[in-house]
Amino acid sequence: MTISPPLDAPPTPQGHEAAHANHSLTGFIIFLCSESVIFLAFFTGYAVLKLSAVQWLPSGVEGLEWRTPLLYTVVLVSSSGTVALAERCLSKGQLWGFRAFWLLSMAMGAVFLYGQAIEWRSLSFGITSGSFGSCFYLLTGFHGLHVLSGILLMALMLQRSFRPANYAAGEQGVIATSLFWHFVDVIWVMLFLLLYAWS
Amino acid sequence: MTSTAGVDSRILKAPHPVPGAPDNWKRFFSFNTDAKVIGIQYIATALFFLLVGGLLAMIMRGELITPEADLVDRTVYNGLYTMHGTIMLFLFIFPVLNGLNNLLIPCMIGAPDMAFPKLNAAAFWMVPVFGVILMASFLVPGGPASSGWWSYPPVSLQNPLGHLINGEALWILAVALSGISSIMGAVNFVTTILRMRAPGMTLGRMPIFCWTALSAQTIQLIGLPALTGGAVMLLFDLAVGTSFYRPEGGGDPVLYQHFFWFYSHPAVYVIILPVFGVFSELFPVYARKPLFGYPFVAGASLVIVGLSLIVWVHHMFPSGVPQWMRDVFMVTTMLIAVPTGIKVFAWLATLWGGKLRLNTAMLFALGGLFNFVFAGVTGIMLATVPVDIHVNNTYFVVGHFHYVIYGAATMGVYAAIYHWFPKFTGHMYYEGLGKLHFLLTFLGTNLNFFPMHPLGLMGMPRRVSSYDPEFAFWNVIASLGAFLLGVSIIPFLLNLVSSWVRGPKSPANPWNAIGLEWLLPSPPPAENFEEHVPTVISGPYGYGTGRPLVEHQDEIERALLKA
Amino acid sequence: MTSTPQRFPLSRLIGLALWLGLLTLLSVWMGAQVPRWLPVSASSAAPLVDGLFGFETAVATFVFVGVVSVMVWVVLFNRAEKYDISDAEPIEGNTTLEIIWTVIPLVLVMGIAAYTIQVNREIGLIGPMDHSHAPASASSAAGASVPGGEVQVIARQWSWEFRYPVAGVSSTELHMPIDRRLGLQLESEDVIHGFFVPAFRLKQQVIPGRSITLFITPTRAGRYRLRDSEYSGTWFAANQADVVVESEEAYQDWLRRASRLPLQPGLSEASREYAQQLSGDRPSGYATIAPAPPPLVNVPGSNTLPHDG
Repeated sequence: MTISPPLDAPPTPQGHEAAHANHSLTGFIIFLCSESVIFLAFFTGYAVLKLSAVQWLPSGVEGLEWRTPLLYTVVLVSSSGTVALAERCLSKGQLWGFRAFWLLSMAMGAVFLYGQAIEWRSLSFGITSGSFGSCFYLLTGFHGLHVLSGILLMALMLQRSFRPANYAAGEQGVIATSLFWHFVDVIWVMLFLLLYAWS
Repeated sequence: MTSTAGVDSRILKAPHPVPGAPDNWKRFFSFNTDAKVIGIQYIATALFFLLVGGLLAMIMRGELITPEADLVDRTVYNGLYTMHGTIMLFLFIFPVLNGLNNLLIPCMIGAPDMAFPKLNAAAFWMVPVFGVILMASFLVPGGPASSGWWSYPPVSLQNPLGHLINGEALWILAVALSGISSIMGAVNFVTTILRMRAPGMTLGRMPIFCWTALSAQTIQLIGLPALTGGAVMLLFDLAVGTSFYRPEGGGDPVLYQHFFWFYSHPAVYVIILPVFGVFSELFPVYARKPLFGYPFVAGASLVIVGLSLIVWVHHMFPSGVPQWMRDVFMVTTMLIAVPTGIKVFAWLATLWGGKLRLNTAMLFALGGLFNFVFAGVTGIMLATVPVDIHVNNTYFVVGHFHYVIYGAATMGVYAAIYHWFPKFTGHMYYEGLGKLHFLLTFLGTNLNFFPMHPLGLMGMPRRVSSYDPEFAFWNVIASLGAFLLGVSIIPFLLNLVSSWVRGPKSPANPWNAIGLEWLLPSPPPAENFEEHVPTVISGPYGYGTGRPLVEHQDEIERALLKA
Repeated sequence: MTSTPQRFPLSRLIGLALWLGLLTLLSVWMGAQVPRWLPVSASSAAPLVDGLFGFETAVATFVFVGVVSVMVWVVLFNRAEKYDISDAEPIEGNTTLEIIWTVIPLVLVMGIAAYTIQVNREIGLIGPMDHSHAPASASSAAGASVPGGEVQVIARQWSWEFRYPVAGVSSTELHMPIDRRLGLQLESEDVIHGFFVPAFRLKQQVIPGRSITLFITPTRAGRYRLRDSEYSGTWFAANQADVVVESEEAYQDWLRRASRLPLQPGLSEASREYAQQLSGDRPSGYATIAPAPPPLVNVPGSNTLPHDG
């Protein structure tokens, strides 16, 4: 999936550069709405398969352990807060504050991914273990890809913050990235409810 | 393209090479970010694949001219019809419409280019890439995908040779890439229409083509991700052995049908809505009358978007869905006839009492409307459950569908190509060849696709490589029509190429039409109006009202005449 | 659909009435032609479907010919003169007309929908399509009791097998008694197939992992074609069988005689062609799934005898 918005100004004459930059946020929001439909499709598929299943969990699997994932969920969801703090710092012109909170959010995202990897390794079923296994790995894996993309996008924005005076007039890219991060968090909350809480 | 004389001076000093300027054909093979170059790239690529898909169709009709499976092996036939459908939809009709969007939207709303030119070029270049992937599937062991363009599991999951790289996998990859390309395009078109209109051009003054493009691209944004999600699961089932759709692992094959049709029914509106836009643009020009009931025609597009997303189960009436679902989806499907009817009646009222000029573009628009109304009334029949149960998956559906996609949509595309050809190439086309093209297309379409209706009523299933002898008569006629359609492409391509190379120079506004694109030189310079975007002061289609469209219209027109 | 009603000269009114009258006559006549386009009607559902289709054909004719006659009229009589470059009278809309042509189609399609739901009900009463979602484990135990119907229909790539568990008969030709509601239990062993008998006007997907009961009341004796209607792979087109509708006595007699016959391979066009390809008598194309071996049945029947529809 191409998820990075065209943040660079297109190679057109000077007069249109500013105008184009203004559109990136519009375009990105439209893209996010569209992207949410993929998740919606996966969620619906999951619900339909689960509701119509004769035997849902693979034999030998009791259910998912939810306490550790809940911990990682808290980490991921609070990273939405640190992203918001980073944005506030940026709007006040405190570049170092922005960088600190931004880096913290990236770290929290990475911790979440690490937790996910640990969980995958500990599970007794695989992606081919019936519809349940297929859905579990598809949903968490697809979401994990989004977390990874979010971290990479944040790294890009962090690197840009070192360009002199780059963020003097606000930065569409930072707003878009933080929107994307909130989106990824909201999706995870729904996923957590579907996969772990609904049994 | 032979001489520089008469080329608008702004073209010669334009930062990008533009259509019609001398010796710059190489730009069509480059990563050019100019929407007008990309538009022509899209259309040329699409027409190439129209020839490929058409060739496959003619082999199929050659097979079906006799009841026995004798021309090609059954496996080959199955591959042919699968690839025919896939190519025509994903490599012909969607790209050609995106080509029109690229050419028309920025010019019609007075924008210099699309909102995201690089994204635009990237979206285009994915088309040849997945085109090559799809073509390559003819060469892999086991042959191309052969489970129809629906690719229903479990039959699509059967992989006789067991290779990881097989026709079906390449097919899913190509469709997924096509989806990503279309989503990139849709983000671009919607942003451009919402954010880059000329001063004074409120939504209520926007040409209908832009309204229909906005509606169609909205459907893409909502529907395509669902198909992509469904296709990803199909790929996992095929390549990894998951059980989303495999019944033996607890999967549900009917679930795929929901995902598929949730997008693929609205996809028909993605195709037909811009063609409605073309009709709405052309009828006023050639009838010399304003579009009848502009706000209703514009609003009807939005109603169609809403309804198109809640009708998909009508493709699944025999799939084992409960009776209440059949009734609900029948009613929603029937409702679509209402906004569509509003449009058809608006066009008729526009034509009524007009001063019609029957050039090639207008003939194609009228022929397209004729075929569309026929497809519309058979569509109502298909919506009603008991009749659908009988004709579902028979040639009746194939006939209905081709009346929409070829009879209405492709003829509408031809109309658009002829109408705007002078604008974007700077050359007039030849009317004689154009009318010959129309005649052959109109006859061929009806000869090819009408016989499919009686065949379906008699009970001939679609996708068959052989059939019972009682179906032979109508099949022979359909095959003759198909070959006629093949011939009809010759005058078309001849006309395009020869007119572009040595056709007479076109003035800025050869049809005396109203619209921002006709206030640009032919062909328009790279950045359209550049910084001199006119201020729009009235709604579109003011034929006979004497109302100027923009401020200082007289001066702009005088300047165009002088240049 | 016609001129803007500012004033109505008598000649115009007569013309309009004449046009509508002709349209109506033509539509009614077209609706009456429907039986000629359809196969013979051989089930209790068929006359209902045909009646609905005839009604729709009449409405469709009215709409299509109505629109086309307006188009023909304007093309003939509203053409611009050769050097006339002037515009026509600028009429930009008429809200009354818009309301009329929104409401009339709305009422019309809702009327058709109501009629259709009525037909759905009636077809449902004479033969409800029950969808029991039990997994098809019964197919392994031949002769097990069939919950929904008395005939078990098993679709395979690419053959049809019909089992009559009570009589202990299996066949590749479907026999049905006339004028009696018969339950068919549809099961698939591989991919989705479609059970479609055009003369019955009924069609149902056969979905692997599900067992779907379809009730049919045949009303006309004869030999009809059963076609696979959901694309099922290489030999999809050849996956046909014959349906024989006969009197109750003949049906029972057939069951009795069939139960005494020894098992033999049933009809499978796919297997025959596949064997020809393997022996090199018939050219082959891309790789294919091999057909399932022909089912062992008491009566193979025929699929080459002339059929009625």
